[in-house]
Amino acid sequence: MTHVSTRPRRISVSEVLTRLGPPEPMIEAKVRDRIDEYARCFIAHSPLAMMATADAAGRTDCSPRGDYPGFVKVLDERTIALPDRPGNKIADSFRNLDENDGVGLCFLVPGVREVLRVNGSGYVTDEPDVLVRMRTEAKQPQFAIVVEVAETYFHCGRALIRSRLWDPASQALAEGMPSIGEVAAAQFGVDQDPALLEQFLESGYRELY
Amino acid sequence: MQQTIVEHLDRLTEDVLALTLRATGEELAPWEPGAHIDLSVPNWLTRQYSLCGDPADRDAYRIAVRYDPLSRGGSEYLHRFLRPGRTLNVSLPRNHFPLAPAPRYLFLAGGIGITPLLPMMRAAATAALPATLLYVGPSADTMPFAGELRRSHGDRVRIVETGRQGRPDLDALAATLEPDTLVYCCGPAGMLAAAEAAFPAERLHAERFQPAARTFGPDTAFEAVCARSASTVAVPAGVSLLDALSHAGHPLPAGCREGVCGSCDVAVLDGSPEHRDDIGAPQGHMYPCVSRALSPRLVLDL
Repeated sequence: MTHVSTRPRRISVSEVLTRLGPPEPMIEAKVRDRIDEYARCFIAHSPLAMMATADAAGRTDCSPRGDYPGFVKVLDERTIALPDRPGNKIADSFRNLDENDGVGLCFLVPGVREVLRVNGSGYVTDEPDVLVRMRTEAKQPQFAIVVEVAETYFHCGRALIRSRLWDPASQALAEGMPSIGEVAAAQFGVDQDPALLEQFLESGYRELY
Repeated sequence: MQQTIVEHLDRLTEDVLALTLRATGEELAPWEPGAHIDLSVPNWLTRQYSLCGDPADRDAYRIAVRYDPLSRGGSEYLHRFLRPGRTLNVSLPRNHFPLAPAPRYLFLAGGIGITPLLPMMRAAATAALPATLLYVGPSADTMPFAGELRRSHGDRVRIVETGRQGRPDLDALAATLEPDTLVYCCGPAGMLAAAEAAFPAERLHAERFQPAARTFGPDTAFEAVCARSASTVAVPAGVSLLDALSHAGHPLPAGCREGVCGSCDVAVLDGSPEHRDDIGAPQGHMYPCVSRALSPRLVLDL
């Protein structure tokens, strides 16, 4: 195997912009400062959003948020709310929002190639009128993240077309992955049968709410 | 499950939408006044709606949906995003609110609670039985079917607009009631409570949209034995019997998951269930979404 440089060279943004050429005029027109009827319809059909937040120093992370389509509530055309479902309790997003309120979201709808992007600023709430709208299986979340929307736009479908994300044949990729039990056994360095770990993790997945 | 297609969407008032669901194949399953269906909303939620059309029309079901500003996504989806031509799956009709034979009826409707009473009123009229309807809402323009009811049934329908007239005096109404009258009430919790206070329990049939606020003892762990497969399922405190069964490979249909729809009905062969539902499971049955066990062990027909 030929060894290539482990640290690729860095180029400046002006160099990037020169090489890319000017943006298509359509693009800037796509940006809206609110949730219009189309964005609202997209969110109502979306069971999955990727949410990026960053800490005060700009260290960023991105986490998936998923539930039934429309689990993210549109409170008005400038405000949306995401339920905080039980997860790993690491609370990275909460800590980040406390230091830096910037939030970036990508919404996905199965079968739709375009992605809805929503950017704004967020905070945590426990407002009962918001949480009651997120009740599932007789349980409601403890918290929700409110995002005050600054911009929304439909991202073109090329990434999803190239990725064949919604092509059922793409599911065969899962066969090439080690089981989560194998990954956990290796990463935690535990001397445990991966099949048992797998069972343990699977049983954890049964408690979804 | 029955497949239907959304034929019409009619806005009856500012926040009530009527759906006409036409059969895509054979006739739809028959139903009696008081019946409801589970509607599979395209966003994976299941919601219960009373059938309010004509039971003789076997080609279509009609339901009316009020928009709930605190919607979890059911009424919001139907109001904002449903379009004619969309395919919707509905359950077979179930009836927890059947019209029992009686020489005369009093129907009490609060707001969207009019829907199950509408076919009851028509059935009583067709059978030439004396029936009156007291229909209560903030103002006539917010009350679906108010005009249609007045046209069809004349002064047997009394519309009470609480915004102008205040709440009706149910005690006064009860005092003048013929003793053989059966009272059917569907409406918000406050109205049901007033009806329960005013009318004798054996004369009153009530249907609620939401679970009644009640308290139960703390959840305890118990065992469910699935008789047909001879397997035993542990049900820990904090996990519903429905979820425990489903995780153990005995999935049951689940609609409301809060004890008001009856879709998860299961027969109990032995043991004492602790019924926590709002509709009253038939003798020997229980609704495992909310109900638990008083005995350490339940034997289920599964």
